[in-house]
Amino acid sequence: MRYGMVIDLKRCIGCYGCQLSCKAENGTPPGVFFARVLKQEEGTYPTVNMLFLPVLCNHCEDPACVDACPTGASFIWEDGIVDIDPDKCVGCRSCMMACPYGNRYINDKPQHYYAQGQTAFERLRTGRHQTEVVMKCNFCRDRVKAGEDPACVANCPTSARIFGDLEDSSSIVSRLIKERAGFTLHPEMATRPCVYYLPT
Amino acid sequence: MNTATPEFAVAADDAWIQSSCSLCYGSCSILAHRVDGVVVKIEGNPDSVVGKGKLCGKGVAGIMTHYDPNRLTKPLRRTNPKKGLGEDPGWKEISWDEALGEIADVLRKVRQDDPRKLVVQRTTTVTAGRTPFQTFAAAFGTPNFSVSGGGQHCGNGAHLISGIMHASWSVVPDFAYCNYAIYFGASKGHAAGHASCSNMGLAADARARGMKMVVVDPMANFAGAKATEWVPLRVGTDAALALSMAHVIVNELDMVDGPYLQARTNCPYLIGPDKRYVRDPESKKPLVWDTVANAARPFSEVAAADMALEGEFFANGFQCEPAFAKLKAHLLKFTPEWAESISTVPAKNIRRLAKEFATEARIGSTIMVDGVTLPYRPVAAVAFRGNQGHMNSTYNFFAVDLLNQLVGAADVVGSCMGFNPASKGFPETGRPHYVPTPDADGLMVTGMWMGYHYPYPPSEPRLPKNLGLQDLFVMGMTSPFLNSIDQEELWQTFEVPYRPEVLMNFGSNLMMAIGNSEVVAKSLERYKFIFSFDLFLTETSQFADIVLPDASYLQSTDSRSNFPFIFSLPGGMGEWCWPIRQEVVPLDGEQRRFAEVLLELADRVGMRADLNAAYNASMNLQAPYRLEGDHAYTYPEICDLELKGNFGPQRGLEWFKEHGLIKWKKQPEEVYWRPFVDVRVPVYWEFMVSMWEKINAICEPRGVNIPQEYYDPLPDFLPCRSHQCQKPGFDFYAFYYRDTIHTNSFTMENPWLDEAAELDPFSYYVAIHAEVGKKKGLRDGQSVWVESESGRKVKGRIRLTQAVHPEGLGIAACAGHWGKGMPVAKGKGVFFNELLELDFAHVSPNNLNLDLCVKVRVTPVEA
Repeated sequence: MRYGMVIDLKRCIGCYGCQLSCKAENGTPPGVFFARVLKQEEGTYPTVNMLFLPVLCNHCEDPACVDACPTGASFIWEDGIVDIDPDKCVGCRSCMMACPYGNRYINDKPQHYYAQGQTAFERLRTGRHQTEVVMKCNFCRDRVKAGEDPACVANCPTSARIFGDLEDSSSIVSRLIKERAGFTLHPEMATRPCVYYLPT
Repeated sequence: MNTATPEFAVAADDAWIQSSCSLCYGSCSILAHRVDGVVVKIEGNPDSVVGKGKLCGKGVAGIMTHYDPNRLTKPLRRTNPKKGLGEDPGWKEISWDEALGEIADVLRKVRQDDPRKLVVQRTTTVTAGRTPFQTFAAAFGTPNFSVSGGGQHCGNGAHLISGIMHASWSVVPDFAYCNYAIYFGASKGHAAGHASCSNMGLAADARARGMKMVVVDPMANFAGAKATEWVPLRVGTDAALALSMAHVIVNELDMVDGPYLQARTNCPYLIGPDKRYVRDPESKKPLVWDTVANAARPFSEVAAADMALEGEFFANGFQCEPAFAKLKAHLLKFTPEWAESISTVPAKNIRRLAKEFATEARIGSTIMVDGVTLPYRPVAAVAFRGNQGHMNSTYNFFAVDLLNQLVGAADVVGSCMGFNPASKGFPETGRPHYVPTPDADGLMVTGMWMGYHYPYPPSEPRLPKNLGLQDLFVMGMTSPFLNSIDQEELWQTFEVPYRPEVLMNFGSNLMMAIGNSEVVAKSLERYKFIFSFDLFLTETSQFADIVLPDASYLQSTDSRSNFPFIFSLPGGMGEWCWPIRQEVVPLDGEQRRFAEVLLELADRVGMRADLNAAYNASMNLQAPYRLEGDHAYTYPEICDLELKGNFGPQRGLEWFKEHGLIKWKKQPEEVYWRPFVDVRVPVYWEFMVSMWEKINAICEPRGVNIPQEYYDPLPDFLPCRSHQCQKPGFDFYAFYYRDTIHTNSFTMENPWLDEAAELDPFSYYVAIHAEVGKKKGLRDGQSVWVESESGRKVKGRIRLTQAVHPEGLGIAACAGHWGKGMPVAKGKGVFFNELLELDFAHVSPNNLNLDLCVKVRVTPVEA
């Protein structure tokens, strides 16, 4: 069992549904994005392509962040999900420097979105995150354990995100990667990411 | 570990409630998760067709709009009688009784005096606002209602012509079957709006299936980014490209769908030298040339296949030709070489695109859907706001639809189609039932419509009694003259016998939604009294006398959160779906729901009986579910009656609160109604001839010039004012576009959406072509002034990009708030509309669409 995700760049329309459904699901503080959408231009006018590139923790098989963590707070679950135990995290940020993808965030102090203070939503959802620790995507592990897809997958209006077991060769993710030449970001970093992309 | 808080599992209150989104007018169906009275998550409702269980970024971010501490909680009254830009209203909290008492006094007096002096203005964002506000206006007796939120630019061409040609509010490719879609300034399936999330899924499926998507747009951001081929063009020249493609299809390739044109359009109707139909002297029906009888006969007496499409004939004393022959000759001037000089699209590409479109149409083919054999034309040319937000609004949209008509790709499988123009209704009740019908000339009259006036047949132009002059300019819908600089001059010219005195505003931010703030401010200052239902204090509510704190969508109930089907239910096969909205959480402070406030106002004004009667009409309530006399129904009671009337006595509001929605299967005869309904659509707009004569007869004696070329029966390319600007240094065509994470101006206050927009490379920037910018010495990120020919200017930061036409300058719409009431939104992005003049000279003299493009110069902001 190794959970992974496939993101179909042909389907993605850059609606930010993943980024914002993640925010709603996880109640992340300002500036913290377990899921993000990047836009990147390719080519020159008029043969130009605007690439929408959703990114998140790659849940690498050989994660540099876990190697770099001095306290054992960053670890890999038996299902392949890379996670952080906030009780063990000392907020040293070694993992943030080690991650080649920039998908880890420090929750250094209590934050809220409006100048007036926390909303009722933030009290319940943001308030439960410990501060002075590093945080990141964990594939919505609680949803996954409950048999649901991660929030960003469940919400994607174009069904561009697919979640599944990379070790099961018959799973949809495995088949898509094989049939449509799925690729990972920065394979040269040799961290063996478990988030794959399908070409536009 | 981001663990779910364990107390959720044991919380006393833990419910998922089915309701409807309202972050844009797409109104997708939602599930709101409430825990201990707090909304902790909003997801798409997978049981619903509307959104298909998914939400865009705006929809999931709705929690933050709901919990915004800047929301109003108490009615406010201004203490500073002076109104104007920069004037502090000096708000004082008052009670609802005081607020409604004062408003009712004002309304009672104005209704007694002349009810037309009330203007009812609402936002497009809240679809559920349409019926209560329009019904109130009808009961009150005012024809002056208006829809804001980009309305000036959004829809007069798109909506009216979609109604004339497709019996619907808008058009989409039939995503499930379309193989080749060409978008002209449209974002269907790629951003906000009609059936937005559903269309996102459908369009993605279509692209994955291999549908080729050609996107004609000055900028490759949303739809353009997903295009198989992006076709950048000079801003506002869509008609030139579309007409040239039509010319190639008709005159170079001869690849038209003759049987379709004979049977389903007015192409065979004989046109006389006066550009009008040649009519049968007795029956007055338009004549066609019967090729078997070799004689002119009324269209209704000739088999379609026998109708001549070409040739010169003599009938009824006139030399005449079929409308198609007129069209064919008319198109000759639109050569690809000419179109290249206008649009910058290379002639060879125009020829190729035309050939691809006509070839992919598979003229003559059929396909079986659910056991029914249907015409199959898997191509679609669709247009929307960007295409028709111009002086040439009417023809820009008409020219694009002409491509569909020529190859028979209209409301058949795979083609360009209206959203749900024909419904047999819920099987148990047969409601709502509507279908297009023919008028006396055999032309299509839509079975369902939403506002202003039916698209066809046009009303008789008259000396205007409406402040927006739409009863003179009968192709017009949303009018700029409620706020233009020359409104008084126009009202005097056309002897409008009264002036607006009271504005009832629902959520719209007119100060930002129309044109430059100086002119709009003056129009608002002229009102004697303004009251406004708002979530926040906006730039517009600063002009109000009384502001009423509205409920959010999570605090409201409505029986028709997404009705009518022609507005925002996805097209194509699948299911009909009628969702409701219901309260997820209670009201905060003294917030109240607008629909209920309107009922109380009606009681206080003493017009409840009129309002009940108007609801019977607007909701089509039939016995035993009609509202009686002046009984003081609550809004939930009215919703209950509507639902029971449509879905049976056992399915009232309580049933819907439990089930969220009702759905039933669409039939091929509904979705692909075209072969089953004997109506024709006008490829030749004969009605424009007499329309111009009648309008001109009113305008000319009053010194108002109405150029006849805007009323020709066949579409043309007519330049924007920006195309005629010769001022040195003004070398960009500034245009605005809708950003996928923002709706009108109101979502800019949502901090999650603001944060996403801050990270987006374009949302808050001024996009210009990289090489052009560099030649001017401009750097990425540099602060600049964007200045119009008439000296209006806005500040913004430059984004150098390859993804914009070298002459274009793109700005995301409706940004740049300056009011204190929406502090998150304040100062974000660029206020494009500030650049727009707002007068008769800048609107289409045909359909009153304000031109969205303006020639500008860009200069660095001095350090």
